[in-house]
Amino acid sequence: MTDAPVTLREKLRGNDRLLAETGHYAGIRDLRLREKDALKYETLHTKLRALCVAGREMARRISASPGVREVGESVVALYTPEGDAVALSNGIMVHVHTASRFIKWMIENGYEDDPGINPGDIFANNDAFIGTVQAPDVIDVVPIFYEGELIGWAGAVCHELECGGITPGGDVALAQERYGEGLFVCAEKVGLNDALRRDYLIRCERNLRMPIYWILDEKAKVAACQDVRESVLALIEETGAEYYRRAIREFIEEGRRAQLARMRQLTVPGRYRGNTFYGHVTRGKPGLQPLGPPDLLYGMPMELTVKGDGKMLLDFEGTQGWGWHSMNCTPAGMDGGMFVTLTQHMNYEGLVNDGAWLATELILPRGTWTNPDNEKCATATSWALLLPAYGCFQRLLSRAFFARGFREEVFVGQVNSPMIEMGGESQYGGRFGMAHFECAAAGSGAMAIRDGLDTAYVGWNPESDMGNMEIWEQSMPMLYLGRAITPDSGGGGKYRGGCGFTSTWLVHNTRELTLITSEHSARVFDNAGMCGGYPAPTVQWHTAVRGADIGGRAKKGLPLPHSLGTDPLRTLPETLLAGGTVEKCEGPFITAPFKDGDVFCHSYNGGGGYGDPLEREPQAAAKDVENGYATEEFCRAVCGIVLKKESRARAAREADEKKTKELRGEMREVRRKKARPVKEWVREERERLLRGDVAPEVRRMINESIRFSAKFADEFRGFWNLPDDFVFAGDGDDNNSGERPGQ
Amino acid sequence: MKTYPAETLRDLFAGKLPWNAAKEIMSSYKDGDRFFKQLEILQERADWGGKILLPVGEHLCIVQKDGAGDADSRRVVRCDCGFEFGNYRQNWKLAANVRVRNTAASVAEVYPTSCGCDPEWMELREFVCPGCAALLEVEAAPPGWPVVFDFLPDLEGFYRGWLGVPLPD
Repeated sequence: MTDAPVTLREKLRGNDRLLAETGHYAGIRDLRLREKDALKYETLHTKLRALCVAGREMARRISASPGVREVGESVVALYTPEGDAVALSNGIMVHVHTASRFIKWMIENGYEDDPGINPGDIFANNDAFIGTVQAPDVIDVVPIFYEGELIGWAGAVCHELECGGITPGGDVALAQERYGEGLFVCAEKVGLNDALRRDYLIRCERNLRMPIYWILDEKAKVAACQDVRESVLALIEETGAEYYRRAIREFIEEGRRAQLARMRQLTVPGRYRGNTFYGHVTRGKPGLQPLGPPDLLYGMPMELTVKGDGKMLLDFEGTQGWGWHSMNCTPAGMDGGMFVTLTQHMNYEGLVNDGAWLATELILPRGTWTNPDNEKCATATSWALLLPAYGCFQRLLSRAFFARGFREEVFVGQVNSPMIEMGGESQYGGRFGMAHFECAAAGSGAMAIRDGLDTAYVGWNPESDMGNMEIWEQSMPMLYLGRAITPDSGGGGKYRGGCGFTSTWLVHNTRELTLITSEHSARVFDNAGMCGGYPAPTVQWHTAVRGADIGGRAKKGLPLPHSLGTDPLRTLPETLLAGGTVEKCEGPFITAPFKDGDVFCHSYNGGGGYGDPLEREPQAAAKDVENGYATEEFCRAVCGIVLKKESRARAAREADEKKTKELRGEMREVRRKKARPVKEWVREERERLLRGDVAPEVRRMINESIRFSAKFADEFRGFWNLPDDFVFAGDGDDNNSGERPGQ
Repeated sequence: MKTYPAETLRDLFAGKLPWNAAKEIMSSYKDGDRFFKQLEILQERADWGGKILLPVGEHLCIVQKDGAGDADSRRVVRCDCGFEFGNYRQNWKLAANVRVRNTAASVAEVYPTSCGCDPEWMELREFVCPGCAALLEVEAAPPGWPVVFDFLPDLEGFYRGWLGVPLPD
């Protein structure tokens, strides 16, 4: 290391320069502390990690939010003075790196001079353009001073269940500009002398539907940060400041090297490509401003390059522009998505810190949804595009694991996980607002050696827990009629995707309940399969029944709906509650408020499948049917598996091996007959494209990719053998009266 | 160095290893000889000539064909059944057969009880081996979106640089 610079900004820039010049974090070429006394070095790291975990566990008990208490929507981390993560707790690790950006933003923006960074200060941020994913992700950091020197930062994040936006909750699907997303705290000094400012708390009280969540989360985070700070200072007393300063930087450099080594150990260098898509359908929905097209199709082409030194580059070139909707994502969010994926998929042992992030590079074209060039746009549901993108990233990495022979690591990926949020009159008579976090337990993609996890995984919260129904019932004016595994919700394959689940609620004890959903793709699959596996079904439809008369039916002993059933055209609530008014909604559910006695159903995604479904073990399908994970119809149609007739004597189902073999033979023949040479199909499709015979949303999507990327344009035109200047005429962008992205 | 018997890896690849044993492999330090053992396992079940260089997908491997001439031009993508898709630098999908599901009825065939895609916005492209009719990859993409070239390995860099052995020719 060189001479100590004077200001934090100089330190930060010095570190960046050293990394660029030497290729090593902070210019650390040798891990001398580790080499000299590995035990002392590792002990310090273990203690730092432990105190982050302890801080988080303590904070969870201060919080009032079921999201934080039940589902674990929080994380605590320790940073260098320049804002690089040294150690972190478990939890929503996506935010470890977003908090890093927040600290660096304050340093770069001269906070040392104004408003000053002093012992006892508390800073908070939930502005994604400064450093977070979306408005509900509120970050608090406190500086750690040792003998007058700023020696680090403690940071904590909670996902807030209510942000005071134009609709209740935090993933405000209706927001089209940032002004609708709710309360923003923009790298603000919210506390002095270890206490939150009263005027800040008053602002929270007056601007949120459910201030108790935000305010107690603030107190929980501040307590966690202060706990970490005091523990770190005690450790510095033991190790000495000089040792601590050097060791935390060695941890990060070691983390960087470990990531590169892990890439060389598990993958194969080369170029990996994939795509994922997302459909956004809001035409005619109430509350929507006419700022941009109401129906949008997003395409996310992704290219992963694994270089000879193990460094990975993930490039989003070819994707489309930001828009007047809430699904835009800032580079901080994109970084966070990469970071949380890596911590689970590759970098899950030893030194998990910002070193792993330094061994990667994201290419986020300016003006696209991954890197908007207009900070007025909304980011409230950035997960809608972020999740499919990082699910695709997992498939790209998995291709590398497959090639290297580590099939047990091959994973079809995390899924998009829809969110339901609500507000209005609570069951206790007051006003309330809340995001329901049972979505933290969707189905996962399949693996190359087994089926995906059922109702047990989301990428953004590695602890993945749906929370107890009874806890959620305490927090909202709805009662569960059922929470059931959704049969056939995993994509078909040799190994099927994990199943999602469906909640069926009875609106109870309220005169006004607004329900809003987000982050579920309409019309297109957003959770693909791999190696012959099919994508998971969409969960784009919502079913509500107003005036369902559940009480009346219960008194008469008539059957009640506890799930949607397995007929996609007519759900169980529609069939059983025919006396009520049925409401079906495609895409984000935004409609008039509900009241006592109404019924609402909400489904969560399953994962994509892996491998040829005709290779699925027949008896595995029989078990699926027996346990409600799949229907007999699905097993037959997709996997060619025939089950023996159901026996009244026993519940166990059994595959009919002989009939299965026959059926699969027939299905292979159908494949031979119906599949034709790709080149023939390409020639035909070319004519279709020349005619412009595709939906306006598709035309618009492809035209926008062409506009943003010469590389995409060349490849698109080259693939279909189209003229060099080909674009679709009339891309249906007739409703985009406002500013267009990337201009 | 961690290592596993070939039998264990055969079972692992076939999905027949009990979950607790597979989980143990996932959670342990990785075995350094995995790649070459994998190649041996794949090679022993191949009943055609040529040396497997790298698997690239279920049933699909890059194979060094026997013969004279330029080594690179003899590196082809081949299905387990022996069908050859051409040089690995070209997208194997272009030499495959495809069934495109782009009508509501054909999508519903594989989503009989759940929500499929709207064929106006997305189609399913099922890439099928012309030799054995195995379903090798399913692409879900809007009409007009180009077919994806999933994986172009840096074979030379991998063998020489990472494995420390020459690339077979």
